[in-house]
Amino acid sequence: MSKILVIDDEPIIRTSCERCLKPEGYEIKTTATGAEGLEFLKNEPFDLVLLDLMMPDMDGMEVLQMIKKTYPSIKVIMITGYSTVDTAVDTLRMGAFNYLQKPFNPDTLLNAVKDAVDPVESN
Amino acid sequence: MKNIFRNPNKSVAAKLIIAIGLLMIVVSFVFWYAILHKQNKDIMFIAVDYGETFIDFAKKSTFSSMSSNDREETRKVIENLSIPEGVHSLRIFDHSGTVRYSSSKERAAESVARGSQACKSCHTDPANSSELSPTPKKWSVYKDEEGNTTLKIVDRIPNELACFTASCHAHPKDQEILGFIEADLSLSLLDKTLFKQSLALTAYVAMFVLVVSICLIVILYKVVSKPVNSLVTGMGKVAGGDLEHTVEVTSSDEIGVLAKSFNAMIRDLKNAREERELWTHTLEDEVAKKTEEIQNTHASLVQTEKLASLGRMAAGVAHEINNPLTGVITFAHLLQKKVPKDGPESEDINVIIEQAERCSKIIKNLLTFARATPSEKGNVSITEVLNRTIFMLQNQAKFRHVKFDLTCKDEQYIVSGDASQFQQIFLNLFINAADAMDGRGKITIYAREISETDNSYVELEFADEGNGIKEEDMSKLFEPFYTTKPIGKGTGLGLSVSHGIVKHLGGHITVKSTVGKGTSFFVRLPMEKTNL
Repeated sequence: MSKILVIDDEPIIRTSCERCLKPEGYEIKTTATGAEGLEFLKNEPFDLVLLDLMMPDMDGMEVLQMIKKTYPSIKVIMITGYSTVDTAVDTLRMGAFNYLQKPFNPDTLLNAVKDAVDPVESN
Repeated sequence: MKNIFRNPNKSVAAKLIIAIGLLMIVVSFVFWYAILHKQNKDIMFIAVDYGETFIDFAKKSTFSSMSSNDREETRKVIENLSIPEGVHSLRIFDHSGTVRYSSSKERAAESVARGSQACKSCHTDPANSSELSPTPKKWSVYKDEEGNTTLKIVDRIPNELACFTASCHAHPKDQEILGFIEADLSLSLLDKTLFKQSLALTAYVAMFVLVVSICLIVILYKVVSKPVNSLVTGMGKVAGGDLEHTVEVTSSDEIGVLAKSFNAMIRDLKNAREERELWTHTLEDEVAKKTEEIQNTHASLVQTEKLASLGRMAAGVAHEINNPLTGVITFAHLLQKKVPKDGPESEDINVIIEQAERCSKIIKNLLTFARATPSEKGNVSITEVLNRTIFMLQNQAKFRHVKFDLTCKDEQYIVSGDASQFQQIFLNLFINAADAMDGRGKITIYAREISETDNSYVELEFADEGNGIKEEDMSKLFEPFYTTKPIGKGTGLGLSVSHGIVKHLGGHITVKSTVGKGTSFFVRLPMEKTNL
């Protein structure tokens, strides 16, 4: 079963992701900071990271860069409230798999996650 | 005229009149005095002459009786001689002062005192010495008891052959002077004449001074004072700012020339003032124009800054609201899975989801407004976008009775930007226009090219026939959330988003509106240099 790490400083986003994805059979871990997220990644393997673009301690871009550098195989989906094409294109160029625009509904989230971890199934 | 003498220090005429008058009075007085003096002297000379003749006559008249020593006859002759008016007295006295004959009996007994006027004719100091005066003077003038001027003439009676050879032998041969004859002649008649004459002369002189003074005053007043006064008044008026005034002095003398030059100067001054006023006026207009420009610029700067800060705030709010909104949507969905699909709860939850998604849409608009960043930048044909937008709208119910007049169908304006964003702007403007016209009327679109500071722009005018925009709404037009539409119909973001996009592209939107007649929106966009 795919393991997903959610890094977001906003508790409601973390809870939302957890509540949406857990019933679908995904294993979810959540953290509020980029630093803790990187710590988790060091200790256990994850298939997918849902990463907030704007966090108080570390910039989402920075975290993305470090994940892509250390664990190139882990897919990252950016969560952004600032969804402009400029930043979206930037994150994709830096190796993000996809981006999600807040506010999203469970179906959008699920589709995006499925796209990332089970490409065959979703197709 | 009175003014001349009110303050003589300040009047040239008064000074002249006083100076000339004084001079005239002094000169007249000198002449008057000289004439009187000369007259007096001449009359005295004649009187003395006459006196001397009289003495000679008396001497000759008494000679024969004296030679014959006929005392009675001599006394008679002397008495007769003193009869005519003016002959006061006639006396003969010897060297010792004893009066021998006298015309009046009362004075016959008197003796002539040493030191009296009679002796002073020949002696310098008769009381003390017998010294003779080098300039013997036979006559003298004195006032008698009645105050009449009297001429006293004394003459010697010298010793003659007939005297010392006379039979009476009264006088020895060596006696040089036998005695003196003295006549007192009244000059009162002459006095009277002299007095009358001097009175007349004084009157003439006074008359002369008076007449000449009056003439002088009148002439000076006419020639100097009046024109000078008129000049002074004129200068005062000009100094007070009245440049319409002219000095009316027509004489050809120096004052006339001065007045003419003064009038010419006033004319020049007036022309200069008119020129200056004209210039000031132009300057004022210029300043007013510039001030208005500055005010407009300032207002638009303030507006821009206001919009920018509102945009920043909106972006912040939108970003923050996205998180709870995600929660609401997610949990509403989760909840919906737990309730029966067709139950009333499911419908309620649907409402929650719908409303949350509406919020999401508003926020999306807000973010677009805040960022206004074109998603795809490229060369866009404005005419094409307009055509497409109009085509799209024509089939919509809202625009069924709206006529579009695109006057620039065949022209090409290429602008750099995102076609979909332009479409959004035009859509906003068309929807607003249709709302303003209550769905009925004509929207006219004009396009024109404008060159400004080396850049060329295309200006699109969207003119409707709607109700127009009220003056008080004008300034808030581009503010986000400002709408005059009924609640639920407009978000108040359309124009502010359009404004943001156009601004980002380096253009701007302006409005001109007349209430009741319609509104024109002007969208100015920078044109691409590689024009087709």
